Amino acid sequence: MHRVLLPFEFFEPKTIEEAVHLLDTGNAKVMAGGVDLVLKMRLRLISPEYVISLLKVPGLDYIEGNPAGLRLGALATIRQVELSQVVQKNWTILYDAVRQIASVQVKTMGTMVGNLCVATPASDISPALYVLGAKVKIAGVNYEKVIPIENFFVAVGNTILESNEIVTDILIPSLSPGARGAFMKLAKTAEDIAKVNTAVMVTITDNICTEAKIALGSVAPTPIRVTGAEELLTGQKLDGAHIARAAEAAAEAVKPITDIRSSAGYRKEMVSVLVKDALLKATSSGRV
Amino acid sequence: MVNGKLYEIIIEPRMLLVDVLRERMGLTGTKYACGTGDCGACTVLVDGKPILSCLTLAVTVRDKNILTIEGIADGNTLHPLQQAFIDNGAVQCGFCIPGMVLSAKALLEENPLPTRNEIQAGLAGNLCRCTGYVKVIDAVQAAAETAGKGGKI
Repeated sequence: MHRVLLPFEFFEPKTIEEAVHLLDTGNAKVMAGGVDLVLKMRLRLISPEYVISLLKVPGLDYIEGNPAGLRLGALATIRQVELSQVVQKNWTILYDAVRQIASVQVKTMGTMVGNLCVATPASDISPALYVLGAKVKIAGVNYEKVIPIENFFVAVGNTILESNEIVTDILIPSLSPGARGAFMKLAKTAEDIAKVNTAVMVTITDNICTEAKIALGSVAPTPIRVTGAEELLTGQKLDGAHIARAAEAAAEAVKPITDIRSSAGYRKEMVSVLVKDALLKATSSGRV
Repeated sequence: MVNGKLYEIIIEPRMLLVDVLRERMGLTGTKYACGTGDCGACTVLVDGKPILSCLTLAVTVRDKNILTIEGIADGNTLHPLQQAFIDNGAVQCGFCIPGMVLSAKALLEENPLPTRNEIQAGLAGNLCRCTGYVKVIDAVQAAAETAGKGGKI
């Protein structure tokens, strides 16, 4: 850990267009809240020549919720989302995920987009966005594209973003009327990063599950969906037996690693416990 | 602006807020501990919101209102939170206290009468390694009650 950062040139573009052009110049990094970037610079894991701050681009901290969906700007902080009435009311899975991130300071500085771009497999936000069917909007030099969140992550700390691209928005659709979900996390203490986390969403029509989504974090290099377990729920009545079978299938499908927070075997077992609990919570609560 | 006072200093973009406060402005009440954003000892308020000065480039807050622990008392009269920390014995070595007090101030401004659970959540980003949290939470609750009876936070 170094107290002093290596020198860099600092830019404060006023538009996204200007920012991507600056990023295109070489060894440059984009900064929003700076939580991860400044830490990695202090650890000298990265030493950019140019730091491109988005903080002076006006109007990027929006949280816009309407019947069509929720749109989060690149500078919308985790804390803003946690305190948003619209999110609390209509996207409860997302609220449950962000409120379990403990440090108010980190949530105040850190942005939602930044959390995704850091690409930690332990992100509490990513599994929630997986089951919500979120997309990210990416700006490059003279283009924009929208891609599903599930295609965004490549490996630990790595996304599909090119060095001259910026995520400008997270787009989250509204939920179908019968959709219910839950987010759950297991960690050593309430403040710690997840050993395992999960978000589930089931759509129930006439007591039958018409769609099921189960996403897991901290059990693979990126957040994952366990489609085999999901298929065991689709078309079924979600009773205890079906839920238990899907939870077992989810545990069998993952190949976690052993690290400082947990062993692979424990993680695997906890996947089945968390998925079961989350499915029971989702089916009993009726909340989204 | 730091504690209501305008400072004109020349800094490099790479300088961290904690170092500018401590070394360039002499405001050593802001503590440096883990350096990784885990402990909260370096917490200051920027436009009323708690941030980690060890992970903040000072240049990014040059046009903001920064409040450090030196700025919260009113002359020789302690801030109600400071007084409550003393009255409740919520201090041992003292290293985490500036950050604790500032996080608590931000919490009470957002939520003037928090429950104990809400105080815990509000202070989750501040670690104490000696005395523990019970008296700290008592102190914040006492300060909130004082404020509720007409004192100010």
